[in-house]
Amino acid sequence: MKPILEVNELTKQLGSFKLDNVSFSLTEGCITGFIGVNGAGKTTTIKLLLGLIQKDAGEIKFFGKSIQNNEHEFKNRIGIVLDDGYFYDDLTLLEMKNVIAASYSNWDNRLFKRNIDRFGLPLNQRIGTLSKGMRMKYAIALAISHHADLLIMDEPTSGLDPQVRLELMDILLEYVGEGKSVFLSSHITSDLDKVADMLILIHGGRIIFSEEKDLLLDKHGLVKGDNKELNEQSKALFLTLDETDYGFSGLTADKAAVRRQMKNVYIERPSIEDIMLSYIKR
Amino acid sequence: MLYHLVKKDFLLAKRYWIVLLIAALVLPVFIHTKLMAGGEFPSFFISTLFIAYLMFNSASMAEDKFRGAAYLCATPYTRKKLVIAKYVMVAVLFAACYLLYTLTALIAPLELRLLNLYESGLAVLILQIAFGVIIPIQYRFGYEKSRYIFFFMIFITPFVMPSVIKLLQNSSMDWSNIPLSQPMQGLLFVLLAAVIGAASLLISIRVYASRDL
Repeated sequence: MKPILEVNELTKQLGSFKLDNVSFSLTEGCITGFIGVNGAGKTTTIKLLLGLIQKDAGEIKFFGKSIQNNEHEFKNRIGIVLDDGYFYDDLTLLEMKNVIAASYSNWDNRLFKRNIDRFGLPLNQRIGTLSKGMRMKYAIALAISHHADLLIMDEPTSGLDPQVRLELMDILLEYVGEGKSVFLSSHITSDLDKVADMLILIHGGRIIFSEEKDLLLDKHGLVKGDNKELNEQSKALFLTLDETDYGFSGLTADKAAVRRQMKNVYIERPSIEDIMLSYIKR
Repeated sequence: MLYHLVKKDFLLAKRYWIVLLIAALVLPVFIHTKLMAGGEFPSFFISTLFIAYLMFNSASMAEDKFRGAAYLCATPYTRKKLVIAKYVMVAVLFAACYLLYTLTALIAPLELRLLNLYESGLAVLILQIAFGVIIPIQYRFGYEKSRYIFFFMIFITPFVMPSVIKLLQNSSMDWSNIPLSQPMQGLLFVLLAAVIGAASLLISIRVYASRDL
């Protein structure tokens, strides 16, 4: 599968925070989860992608073309969902849609109507009166009604109830099923457990890893066992290690080595959250 | 594209539409009755400045509150188009005020003269100077900070204006000496306003292009 979006050495200084040489690529037909704690640099990266803030250095390519020189084409082929929506609350859904639709050259009004009906959104209602879940559905309806190749979403699940989050994940799976791609930032990793194909972890403005989710989950292991299994050599195999009087538990990035060196331990499959936190705690 | 952006700015100020429509019809008449003879130009100019500023300010306030410009800039709308839309909005407001004034002058049961080309041109020029300063300042400093700047400017006006007027009175500049008819002077004002507007627009586009949203 070819890369749809390539980010190379993206750098931005914002006060005391620095996004430092961020590089990654998004693959066609995949849901890529962009994970990290609050303040890690997720929103800054997305704002840089969208040109909402100016980069200090680096290059972003979309289908091999620099987005700086092809900004209109890039923005015409992406759909966006921002964390707060950034909607004008005083406008109705229809009024806001009319403003947004006019900017896209391939806006599909029938598709939009279908999405609106599917989500049960009242077009004549003021945006400010929508619930958080309805607001998110509206943002998605706007983002996917112009046949975008890539959907960029900043913290779309934040503040949503589990049912709406589940619905959102179904929408994303359906969207990717049509051969499109999704780039989704979130600090709620449980959602990505279900849908993500690729995972990129950012922390302190730096990319920690960028890997296939299944590979990442296979490689890592949550190890539990008796303290007597631990020695200087085996301790070096762990990203994080918690020792108590009753035993230890730790996360390793090298399950094979743990199996070789530690005979009487249990190895469980970690969650994305376990992996994320262990890299951050290091 | 531009039409929808201008329409959006008007929609953001929609709660003031009725009040400002009434103001556009009533204010010129009211000011004129207070000034009496020769009060057409100031009554039109003051009411238009008041209405245009209130509408523009209401749209800017909503823009600042909802931060919708960030979303629009993430769509194929360019920042340049967003800035142009603001200037078009002011031009539309002026045209609407002019139209409403003319309608009022035609149907009002008191003697309210229609504006001639000279007065119209002068009004365009002064309004363009005002908004030519206001819009770039707002793009540079944002809505909140620019409010304080405008407040400060209004505050110092009474202290500065007498000196400016005195300076103008003492200067040798006399418009009546210009070898042009009044209608031609009016057209000259419009031309000057267009130049000021274009310069202001370029400055605003440049300022907004480098702003973090």
